[in-house]
Amino acid sequence: MRIRLRVNGREREVEVAAGDRLLDVLRDGLHLTGTKEGCGEGECGACTVLVDGRPANSCLVLAAQMDGCDILTIEGLAEAGRLHPIQEAFVEAGAVQCGFCTPGFVMSAHALLAATPNPSDEQILEALEGNVCRCTGYAKILSAVRRAAAQLGTRDPSREAA
Amino acid sequence: MDYLRVTSEPDLAEALSVDGAVPLAGGTDLLVKVRAGVARPGLLVDVSRVESLRGLSRSQDGLSIGAALPLADLLGDAAVRDAYPLLATVLRSLGSTQIRSRATLGGNLANASPAADGALALLAYDARLTLASRAGSRALPLREFFRGPGRTALARGEYVHSITLPAPDANQAFFFHKVGRRRALTIAIASVAGLLSLEDGVIVDARIAAGSVAPTPLRLAAVEDALRGCRLDAALARAAGDSASREVSPITDVRASADYRRDVTGELVARFLSTALRASS
Ligand SMILES: Cc1cc2nc3c(=O)[nH]c(=O)nc-3n(C[C@H](O)[C@H](O)[C@H](O)COP(=O)(O)OP(=O)(O)OC[C@H]3O[C@@H](n4cnc5c(N)ncnc54)[C@H](O)[C@@H]3O)c2cc1C
Ligand code: FES
Ligand code: FES
Repeated sequence: MRIRLRVNGREREVEVAAGDRLLDVLRDGLHLTGTKEGCGEGECGACTVLVDGRPANSCLVLAAQMDGCDILTIEGLAEAGRLHPIQEAFVEAGAVQCGFCTPGFVMSAHALLAATPNPSDEQILEALEGNVCRCTGYAKILSAVRRAAAQLGTRDPSREAA
Repeated sequence: MDYLRVTSEPDLAEALSVDGAVPLAGGTDLLVKVRAGVARPGLLVDVSRVESLRGLSRSQDGLSIGAALPLADLLGDAAVRDAYPLLATVLRSLGSTQIRSRATLGGNLANASPAADGALALLAYDARLTLASRAGSRALPLREFFRGPGRTALARGEYVHSITLPAPDANQAFFFHKVGRRRALTIAIASVAGLLSLEDGVIVDARIAAGSVAPTPLRLAAVEDALRGCRLDAALARAAGDSASREVSPITDVRASADYRRDVTGELVARFLSTALRASS
């Protein structure tokens, strides 16, 4: 069947089979390979993308269900060749080792900071509870998200007030 | 396997009347099973865009929750969180942020896992279900819904339309604890959800639901009966824990032994009551 969806701001029309997952369509159909497959069953968060602004496991969503939806993947964050402040913060905080989990963490952090510009540590940890990292331990990831929140706060004071 | 999206209940009822058709809501249980080859549905009928299954409405009768409303939407409603704190506490612990974006109560109930967390809170609140099919609709107390692991009272072609919770009792104490191996994404080894109403130190109502310790999520009716009318004290809390251990019928599996599950259930029930005792004195 044919579905229409918006991926990173761009309208797309793709042919999908009933069993295809959103993850398959992103990686194989649209060659957006920044979204990773770890466990394939909702446990690791490496496949996290935003569906209509909300973080979802793209390994647990059928592509067919996404007709008419707005998808944001890690490729949609950088602008004009510049990393997004959340990505920068992950680099600066040393929160990346092998990097496999990073796109998922960044997308979860993105959803959090859009809804909660000034999160407490507890809110950050809750937002990241569906993401697993096998390399770093979570302290640097936590500090990356804190750093990104501060950065985004100074860049866009209107959000800070909200 | 085919996929069909419906947007109205008549179309849903029609689609489900076909052999091999099953509802697909958030997919967080069903798609895992399909990939593992444990479920082989002929047709997935996507219920997630049927507006009348995504409602949230309040009346004198209480709160009615659409079966296909994502948990994130339910948790996003401050009035629901205030009125039904046990439900909010339980759902906040279900899966992860990603899972809660899509998972639904209809799926949690119809999946009928003995470990279903949403089911525990809803059992404690004495929820009633509205079930529907081409033949019409009917009401069923949630307590009569579960028939065994993965088995429910749903007839062929029938779906869960909504879940109704009675008007809340603001003075209830609540308790939820799930014992598992990791905080997020845990399938419980044992879990207990409870509501308690006290008047001058005497228990007027106790509702205790336990998960992962019987073929279905269940209410500990014998423990509840024994508590009603008693003065809450430390000895009563211990005795209730002991009888809770006896009332459940857990199995041994890869996650824990039956004896351990009994002990944990008893411990959680005792902790529930002693916490309520401390809070009331
Ligand atoms: C990583 C991970 C973590 C999880 N953690 C938890 C947890 O902590 N606690 C917990 O309880 N669960 C947990 N789950 C299980 C699952 O997320 C929940 O049970 C969820 O509520 C299922 O809802 P769904 O909408 O995704 O159901 P689906 O997967 O869409 O459906 C589940 C079943 O219900 C049927 N169904 C769906 N909607 C209806 C309806 N309206 N009428 C009739 N039948 C229907 C489907 O046909 C299917 O058989 C977890 C799952 C994953 C993958
Ligand atoms: S690949 Fe989707 S959660 Fe692990
Ligand atoms: S950096 Fe390697 S898994 Fe997180």
